[in-house]
Amino acid sequence: MKNMLITRKTKSRLSSFIFPIVLLLLWQFISSAGYASSAVVPSPKKVLNTFQILFTQQTFFLNITASLERVMIGFLIGSLTGFLFGLLMGLSRTAEIIFAPSFHTVRQVPMIGWIPLIVMWFGMTELPRILIISIAAFYPITLNTFAGVRSVPREYLELASVYGYKRFKLIRRIILPAALPSIITGLTLSLGMSWAILMAAEIFIQTEFGIGTQIQMGRQRFNMPLVVTGILTVGLLGFVMTMMIEKLARIVDRGRAIGNEN
Amino acid sequence: MIKNLLHRFALRDKLLALIVPLLVLTLWQSVLSLHLFSDLILIPPLTLVSTFLELVGSGDLANNILASLQRVMVGFLLGGSLGFIFGVVTGLSPFMNRVLTPLIKALQQVPEFAWMPLIILLFGIDELAKVVFVSIGAFYPMLFNTYLGVSGVPKKYQELAWVFDYRRFRYLTKVIIPSALPSIITGIRLSLGLSWMFVVGAELFGADSGLGYMMTWGRQLFQIDIVMVGLIVIGAIGFAMNSLLLIIEKRLLSWRVSFDGRTL
Repeated sequence: MKNMLITRKTKSRLSSFIFPIVLLLLWQFISSAGYASSAVVPSPKKVLNTFQILFTQQTFFLNITASLERVMIGFLIGSLTGFLFGLLMGLSRTAEIIFAPSFHTVRQVPMIGWIPLIVMWFGMTELPRILIISIAAFYPITLNTFAGVRSVPREYLELASVYGYKRFKLIRRIILPAALPSIITGLTLSLGMSWAILMAAEIFIQTEFGIGTQIQMGRQRFNMPLVVTGILTVGLLGFVMTMMIEKLARIVDRGRAIGNEN
Repeated sequence: MIKNLLHRFALRDKLLALIVPLLVLTLWQSVLSLHLFSDLILIPPLTLVSTFLELVGSGDLANNILASLQRVMVGFLLGGSLGFIFGVVTGLSPFMNRVLTPLIKALQQVPEFAWMPLIILLFGIDELAKVVFVSIGAFYPMLFNTYLGVSGVPKKYQELAWVFDYRRFRYLTKVIIPSALPSIITGIRLSLGLSWMFVVGAELFGADSGLGYMMTWGRQLFQIDIVMVGLIVIGAIGFAMNSLLLIIEKRLLSWRVSFDGRTL
């Protein structure tokens, strides 16, 4: 029985490889049969070689660390302010009435649209890049913190008043723990947004180091392998970050479950 | 009496909502009168209005809006319909879901803007590249929401369809699609919203028309009023599209209230 389960699981795993393998073969076939010039479609081997070369170069790692640093700073600023703003609007109905309409109006502007304006104000420096990433991180965490705070069950608040919890104790002991799943969803979304906008920030606002810079440079030099390796690097790093935050969410969730037992 | 009271409360809320915009305007105007920043960086609010009227009067604004809308429509139709087809296929067939979904999820890890340089290398810098870029943005939300809708069709409906001997096409059009409709419409709304953002991005990258182009142009001329008008117009159109689709969503789904009325 157990054996059968394993084979079925492996089978489903294997079938998920069918399409990528077909694509890879097609890619190799197109590039080796000469249907497209190697300048436009570099062979998989060529891309691997480029990766090997990149790994020996310091620039590659400088690009990665620059991008990671940028995203972390922007994400921290955006998610912290967004969390506080969402908490404020969630806790106070008056604050919601005052701020929510303006917030939802400003939110309508696509993030990319801010780039020209921010660049005019702050120039082609690091500040506008970080600012645009913070804006991207700000919206999801604000919305999710607000929603999380507002969905705290009424009974919890009644219980809290029985215990005489007020203000900070109420927020720390009752509201935040109850809103935590929603807040973590917000953090995940914020990180994803930051990572997505990072590319726009690095491509539109030219900078010395960054994965976006590598991709853009590859385009300007018609160096397709450089572009493709850049795209793969971004995708891979994004994947690792998503996995990490999902793992974190699971750990926090487990902690909650254990806390509930006690 | 109660209605009156409610009305008064709503009015109070609306007045309170004006606090922030008024505060921003006052701050803006007072900073202006202090002459802290150059007129190039911080322009008077009224200049914004006159620039807007000027752009409307010359027809520039309308032309750029039309150019952007056209790109969005083509890209959205392309990416959205592909996403819809993939969503139906992966939603209906567990095998196709196993084969396609991991790859799509992997591709989705790449931020859309990272594709832009590659797209330009492959398709050149003109219309085609922009449309392809927009369609990438439209693809994912449409795919995931269609998949959710199609794969979430209640078993009861499938059994009923068997009883009526609905097959293939009829099963698809009479059972699957109507049942997945709410999710599909949400997909359309989200995917149109992303298309609108990506068209601006594509135009910032290099174009000879469109709202993104207008903003780049304003930046190069160092006319911050043009950039700000562009920003406001882009936001307003995005808002209008979203609200319109929300209304359609409500209208189209009004039958649901009496039909399955949140029995779940």
